[in-house]
Amino acid sequence: MKKNFIKSIILSALFLSVGCKKITDINVSPNNPSLSAATPEVLFPSAVASTAARVGGELNILGSFWSQYYTQSTIANQYRNIDSYNITRYDLNADYNELFSGALEDYQLAITNAKANKQWGFVLMSTVMKAYTYEVLVDLYDQVPYTQAFQGASNIQPVFDKGHDIYVALLKEIDDALAQNYSVPLSSSDASTDLIFGGDMKKWAEFAHTLELKMYLRMVNAYPADAQAGVAKLYANPDFLSVDAGLNIFINTPNKDNPFYEYNIRSLNVTTNIRASYTFVSFLTITQDPRMASYFGTSKPTSINQGDYLNTNTALGSAASPVQKPTDPVWFISAAESHFLQAEALVRYPSINGGTTAKAQYMAGVEASFIDNGLAASDADNFMNNSTNDKVNWDISTNKIRTIIYQKWVSFAQGCHALEGFFDQERTGYPEISDVYSSSPLYTEDTRVTPSVNHAGQWVYSLNGVTPNKMFPKRIPFPSSEVDRNKNTPTAVPITTPVWWGLTAQ
Amino acid sequence: MLLVTHGFAQNRTITGTVTAKDDNLPIPGVSVKVTGSSTGTITDVNGRYSVKITSRATSITFSSVGFTTQVIPIGTSNTINVVLSSDNRQLGEVVVTALGINQQKRTLGYSQTTVKGETMTESSPIDMLGGVQGKVAGVTISEKGSTPGGSTSVIIRGYSSIGGVNQPLYVIDGVPLDNSRPNQNNYYDFGNNANDVDPNNIENISILKGSEATALYGTRGSSGVILITTKKGKAGKPKVDFSTSTTLTNAAITFTPQKEFGQGWSGSFILSENGDWGPKYDGVLRPWGPTGLGTGATIGLQQLLKPFSFIENNVSNAFDTGIELNNHIGISGGSETTTYNISYTNVNSNGILPGNYDLFKKNEFAVTVGTKYKNFDVSTSLNYTARTSSVPLSGNGNSTTLGNGFYGSLLQIPSDIPIKDLRDYKNLFFNTDNYFTPYAENPYYDLAENGAHYTTNHVFGNINMNYRLTDWVKLNFQQSADVSATYDKRWSNANNPAPGSWNAGNNVEGATRIADVGSDFEESWNTFEYDSKLQALFEKKISPSFTLNGILGANYNDRGFSWIQTYVTNLTIPSFYQINNSTVSPISYQNTSHRRLIGFYGQANLGYKDYLFLNVTGRNDVTSTLAPGHNSYFYPSASLSFILSQALGLKPSSGITFAKLRAAYGRTGSDTDPYRIYNTLTATNIPVTFGRLQFPLNNVAGYSVNNTLFNPSLQPEAIAETELGAELRFFDDRLSIDATYYNRTRKKQILEVPIAPSSGYATEVENFGTVRNRGLELTVGGTPVKTKDVQWDITYLYSMDRSLVEELPAGLDKVVINNFYDVNMVAVKGQPLGVFQAPIPLMENGHVVVNSTGIPVIDPNNVGDYGSIQPQFHMGLTNNVRVKDFTLGFTIDYQQGGKFYSNSAYLLSFVGANPETVYNDRNVFIVPNSVQANGTDANGKPVYVENSTPINHSNYYSYYNLSDNPAMAYRNIILTRTFVKLREVTLGYNLPKAFVNRIGISNAKVSVFGRNLYTWLPASNHIVDPEVGNLGSDLAGAFGEDASGPPLRYYGARLNVSF
Repeated sequence: MKKNFIKSIILSALFLSVGCKKITDINVSPNNPSLSAATPEVLFPSAVASTAARVGGELNILGSFWSQYYTQSTIANQYRNIDSYNITRYDLNADYNELFSGALEDYQLAITNAKANKQWGFVLMSTVMKAYTYEVLVDLYDQVPYTQAFQGASNIQPVFDKGHDIYVALLKEIDDALAQNYSVPLSSSDASTDLIFGGDMKKWAEFAHTLELKMYLRMVNAYPADAQAGVAKLYANPDFLSVDAGLNIFINTPNKDNPFYEYNIRSLNVTTNIRASYTFVSFLTITQDPRMASYFGTSKPTSINQGDYLNTNTALGSAASPVQKPTDPVWFISAAESHFLQAEALVRYPSINGGTTAKAQYMAGVEASFIDNGLAASDADNFMNNSTNDKVNWDISTNKIRTIIYQKWVSFAQGCHALEGFFDQERTGYPEISDVYSSSPLYTEDTRVTPSVNHAGQWVYSLNGVTPNKMFPKRIPFPSSEVDRNKNTPTAVPITTPVWWGLTAQ
Repeated sequence: MLLVTHGFAQNRTITGTVTAKDDNLPIPGVSVKVTGSSTGTITDVNGRYSVKITSRATSITFSSVGFTTQVIPIGTSNTINVVLSSDNRQLGEVVVTALGINQQKRTLGYSQTTVKGETMTESSPIDMLGGVQGKVAGVTISEKGSTPGGSTSVIIRGYSSIGGVNQPLYVIDGVPLDNSRPNQNNYYDFGNNANDVDPNNIENISILKGSEATALYGTRGSSGVILITTKKGKAGKPKVDFSTSTTLTNAAITFTPQKEFGQGWSGSFILSENGDWGPKYDGVLRPWGPTGLGTGATIGLQQLLKPFSFIENNVSNAFDTGIELNNHIGISGGSETTTYNISYTNVNSNGILPGNYDLFKKNEFAVTVGTKYKNFDVSTSLNYTARTSSVPLSGNGNSTTLGNGFYGSLLQIPSDIPIKDLRDYKNLFFNTDNYFTPYAENPYYDLAENGAHYTTNHVFGNINMNYRLTDWVKLNFQQSADVSATYDKRWSNANNPAPGSWNAGNNVEGATRIADVGSDFEESWNTFEYDSKLQALFEKKISPSFTLNGILGANYNDRGFSWIQTYVTNLTIPSFYQINNSTVSPISYQNTSHRRLIGFYGQANLGYKDYLFLNVTGRNDVTSTLAPGHNSYFYPSASLSFILSQALGLKPSSGITFAKLRAAYGRTGSDTDPYRIYNTLTATNIPVTFGRLQFPLNNVAGYSVNNTLFNPSLQPEAIAETELGAELRFFDDRLSIDATYYNRTRKKQILEVPIAPSSGYATEVENFGTVRNRGLELTVGGTPVKTKDVQWDITYLYSMDRSLVEELPAGLDKVVINNFYDVNMVAVKGQPLGVFQAPIPLMENGHVVVNSTGIPVIDPNNVGDYGSIQPQFHMGLTNNVRVKDFTLGFTIDYQQGGKFYSNSAYLLSFVGANPETVYNDRNVFIVPNSVQANGTDANGKPVYVENSTPINHSNYYSYYNLSDNPAMAYRNIILTRTFVKLREVTLGYNLPKAFVNRIGISNAKVSVFGRNLYTWLPASNHIVDPEVGNLGSDLAGAFGEDASGPPLRYYGARLNVSF
C-alpha cells in the first residue's frame, strides 16, 4: 500500500514534469501579432498617421496660437496655458511620446526591414517621413536623442544630440535613400499603403528635395555657408513639390477624422475654445484677403486680441471660431510652402539658376494657398496684382523675404501645419513684433512716426503672457517623460531662448 | 485487585474507543499511555486503540491536545471506552492554515487571524468583508464605491508590489477564486468577484498575512491569503437557519462648500455660470436659470427667482435613502456518514441615488454534501451566484461619447442653486436645452440617461476526496472549478441643445454646450480557473517526545479569461441603445489571456513535547508566464512556535495562562501576467489628447511596434519575510496580547516601468525594484467583566506599516505609478512607496517668483514632495457587552495620516466651492513674499524685484485652478487620509429559549445595527472620504479619486431564527 502510494506520487510528478514544457508553452500572445509581422507595409502607414495625428493635432493648436492665428475664448479655458506661454515640462508630453515611440520607432523599423528586403521605395518614403518628424522635434526642443535613440532595452537613457548634428545626419539619410534605385514601382497593394502619394515615387523624390531645401533654409542664421551650399546642390537639379504632401484621407467618422477636428471639436466638451486672433484678422482685413471667409466663415469676423481671454466683455463670447471640418487635410509640406521656400531660396541666392524666378514662385505659392482654400488661382493673381500692400504685391515690395514670409504665414493657417508659421517667425523675424498691444489705437495707426504706420499682422505679446520681460516663446521645455526617465536630458532652458537656428536678436 | 496483586507478568490487551463529549465523535490520535511506563499507543482514525499492559499497570492515561487528560484505573474488563471533554484552555483553537490544513493554533510560528461567520454578518453586509472592517490588525478593508455591490479593496500589511497585485488571494474551501474586476478604469464599478461569496454561508475565514503562512500558495499568495470555510452539515436532524434583514443607506458624508460667495465668475453674478465665483450672498431675490423662456404665445415670459443665499444641506439633499433587503435560509443535517448543507441568499438593493439607477440584486445558492465509507470520504460543494446591477457612471466623465457622471455634474452646481429642484430633468427649466449652465449637465439627466447594466453568472465549487491509507497517512485529491460569465452594457444618450435655446448659445455669455453624441458599449467577460491538488498528509508520533506531520503534494492551476467589447458612438435615434443605431462603424476590442502553473510542495511540522514546534515548507513552481529557463523557482519557509508557559510548567495561578513566542522566515516567488516575454505589434490607435485616430484608415491597415518593451529574461519576483511574535494570556484569559513584528522585502519586482520615449518605447517590463515593508501589529483583548449574566469584551488593535523603496532599475531615481494632471504618484528610492510629487513654486532667494500676471511660476527643475499614500497607523477598538440576553457591540476605526489625490477637490476649487477659495475674503491680494522679473542683467538673466502685481478679481479663480497655477493649486487638492469612523454598532436580543422553544424554534435573535454611522474628517479635508475611490482597488487606485460619490452609511434590523 505504502509503495503504491509513493509510486503514484512519483508517477504523477513525472507526468507533470514531462508535460511541463507543453503545459507552460502558451505564452505567445493571441492578442497581438508578433514582431516578425512588422513589414513596412503595416508600419509605414501607421507611422505616417502618428506624425499627422500629433503634428496636425495638438502641435497644430500650439502652432496656431503661437503664430497668432487663434487665441483662447473668453468663456472657456482649454488652451490658456498655450495662449499665455505657460508651457511647462508637463505639457505636450503626449506629442513627444507619440512622435518618438509611435512614429519614429515605426519609421526606423520600416527602414531597417525595407533595407533588408531591398524595398527601396519604402526606404525612401520612410526616410523622408522620419526626417520630417525629427525636424519638427528638433525645431521644438532644440536637442533630442538621435544617435542613441530607438535602442530599446540596450539603452533606455539615450544621450541628446545637438540639433544641427541631427539635421546633418538626416540630410545624409535622405541623400542615401535617394541614391538607391527607388524607381521600381510599388505593387498596387503596397502603393495603397502610401496614404500620401499612393506610391508615386517621383513625388516622393520631390518631397525629399523640398524637405532638404526647407532644412537648409533653416540654417541661414546659424550656418549660412552650409545653407547656401546645400541649396546650391539642390538647385543643380531642381525637383521640388508642386502638390501638397500630406494626409487628405480623413472622413466624417469618429477616430478617422482630422486630428485637430477630432480633438478640438468632436471630443472636447466645449467646441468653441479657439477664436480668431485679432493679430491675424487685422492683417487679412488690411490686405483685403479673400481667404478670410474660408478661415473664419465670414469676411468680417469678430476677433479677440491675442491672449485677452480674461476680458469680461460678453460680446467677445461670440467671436469667430475657425472653420474646422472633419475632412480637413493635414499637410506636411504644402504646395504653397514648397513654392515659398523656392522663392526665398531664389531671393537669397540670386546666383543659383532654378529655371524660374522668385516672383513666379512667390505667386505660385499664393495661388496654391488660394486653391487649397477653395478659391481660384485667378483670385490669387487679382489679390496680389491689385494690392497696394507691400506684404502682398511682389512688385512694390521693398523687402521680398518679408513679403514671402508674411504670405507664407497666411498660408499656414490652412492644412494643420501652423507650427511652421511659428518656426518661420523665429527664423526670419517676420511677422515683426509690435511694440504696442493690438488693443492700442497705435496698433492700427501709429502716429509716433510720420507718416503714421499700421502694425496690422505684427505679433503682439499675449496679454496674459507669463514669461519674464514679455519675451516670446521660442521652444518648448524638455518633456517630463524624458526629464523624469532619462538622466541624460540636458538642463532646462527658458522657453524664451531661441533654438539653434533661431534669430538671436529680434 | 486481588488478581493483580497476585498475578505475575500476566500480559493482556485492553481495547476501547475514545470519543468526544461534545459531539460523540471518535477522536483519532489520542495518546494512550500506561501510566508510569513508556508503553503506549495512539487511537486510530475511528478513535479505537489497543494496548498491551502488564499486570503491574494500574491505570491508563488518555491525553490529546485540546482535551482534558483522563486517567482511568484498569479494572477487570478488557474494554475501556473513554469520553474526553474538551479543554478550552489547552485547545486554544484549531485553525485553518495554507491548503486548508487544520492545525492547532498553538503550533503555528506565524500570525494568523480567524474571523467567525457570526462576526461577519452581525451588521448584514452584502459584501463579504464589510463586517470585518477595523476588526483585524494589519488588514485594511475599504469599500471603494457609493453604489450597492461596489468593489472592496483589501490590503494586508501595506502595499509592497509596485506593479503587481497587492490584493490577497481568496480561497474558498480550497478553491482559488478569481477576483478580477473588469473595466476598473472606465468609471463603472461593477464590484469584484470575491463579493460573490455569501457571508451568511461562511463558517469562518482565516487570514494569513505573512510569507511563511502563505508560502504554500506560492505566487498568488504573496499579498496574503483569505481562506474561507463555508458552513457544512452536521449529523443530526435537519436544522434550518433563517435570517432576514432590512438595511437603509444614505450618504455618510458629503462635501462642505464655502458659504459666502454664490453663483458667478470673476466676482460677477452671471446667470449661466457653473461656478461659485460670484458676489457675496446677500439674500436678495435674484433670477436664476434661463431667461426669456417661452417668450411669445406659448407660455408667456417666465423666470425662476430665488434668494441669493447659501442653501444648507444642498448636497446631501441631492441623495435619497437607499434600501437593502438581505434574506437567507440554510438547511443542514445528515446522518453519521452523510451530511449536507444547503444555503440560499437573496439580496435586493436600491442605492442612494434617486430613482432606480443604482440597483443591485444577488441570488446565491450553495450546496455542500459529504459522505464517507470506511477509509474513504468525499465531499463536494457547489456555489452559484447570479448578480445583476444597474450602475451609474462615476467620476467627472466629461466626454461627449461616454457622457457625464452624476457626481461630476453635481460638483459644478453653485451652492445657491437648489439641487433637489433639478430632479425633474425634463422640466422646461432644467432640461438639456435650458439647464442653467452650458458648462455642465443636469446631474439627474446624467443619472437617468447614462448608465450601465451588469449581469454575471458565477459558478464555483470543488470535489474533495480523502483516503486514509494507514493510521498516519491520508491521501487527498481536490479538483475545483471557478467559471464566470459576465455581460455588461453601458450607454449614454444623445442630445443637442435645440437651436436658439439657452444652451445653444442663447445665454448671457453666448456659450454653447456641445452635443452629446451618445454611445452604446456591449461587453462580455468570461473567466475560468481550474485547480487540481493531489497531496499526501502524514501524521506520526515518532517517539513519546516527538510528533511529525507533513504534506507532500502537487498542484496544477489553469486559468484565464476572454474579453470582448464592441461599441458605437453617434446614436442616430436617441434613447435607443443598439450597436446598429449609428451611421458610424462600431469598434471592437478583444483580449484573451491564459496561464498555467504547476507546483510541487511539501511541509513538515515537527513537535517536541507539545511545546516546541518547527514548521518547514518548500514549494517549486513552474509557470507559463515567464520565459523558459526562468520559469521554475523554489522557495522555502520555516517557522518556530515555542509555548513558554508549557515549557516552564507555569500554573494558571501564576497569572499567566498562556505564553507563546513565534519566529518565522518565509520566501515566496511570484510570476507575472501572461504575454510579457515576446515583443509584439499593436493595431494602431493613436491618442490625439482628446479622441483618437485609429486604423484602418482609407482601407489600409496599420500596425505599430508595441510601446511596451517586453522582456525575455524576466525572473520571478522574490519575497522574503521575517516575522516575530508573541501571544500572551493572563488571569484566566481575561487579558490577552498578540504582538507581531514583520520585515518583508519584495525584490526583483516585475513592473512596466515608464522609460524615455526616445528609446522607441514608452514602457519596459523589468525585474527591478526592492520594496521593504516593516510593521507592527498589536491586538489586546480584555474581559473586564465576566459574570453569568454580564460579560464585557474589549479588543484594541494597532497596526502600522512602513514601506521603503530600496532599489530602482537602471539608474532611474523614480518610477511613476499613476498620475493625474501634473501630480505623479511615484516610487522614489529611499522613500515610502507611493509618494505624491507635484509642481512647486520657483523660489528666488527665499521669495516666490510670480509671472507677469502675479501668479507663481513653477520650478522648472524640481518637484515638490506632497506626502505619501502611507498612513502612520491604524487603530481599532471593538467592544462587546452582553447583559443576559442582550448584546451590544461597537467598533471604532481610526486611520492617521497618508495622502490621496482628490479630483473632487480640484473641481470644487475650479468652481470656487472649496472652502479654501475664500482666502482674504476674495479681495485683491498680492502673493505674499513674492518677486517678479523686471529686465535682465548683463548675462541675460532676469532681475527680480518685489512683486507688485496683485491677484485681482478677473484672475482670482486662476489662483486656485491647477492649469493656471500648478505651483500652488495642488496644496488644496492632495488631501489627508486621516479619518475616525464609528464603523459598526450592533444591538442584539436573544429571545428567551423557553419562549421560542414553545413555537418550535431553537434560537431566535433580533438585532439592530449600523455601519459607518459617523465619520470624522480633519479640518483640512472638507471634500471627500479618503476610503472611496474609483481608480481601482490596488496600488494605482490608492492614488485617490475622481469625483467619486460619497460612501454609504448603513442602518437596519435583522432577525435570525433557527429551528
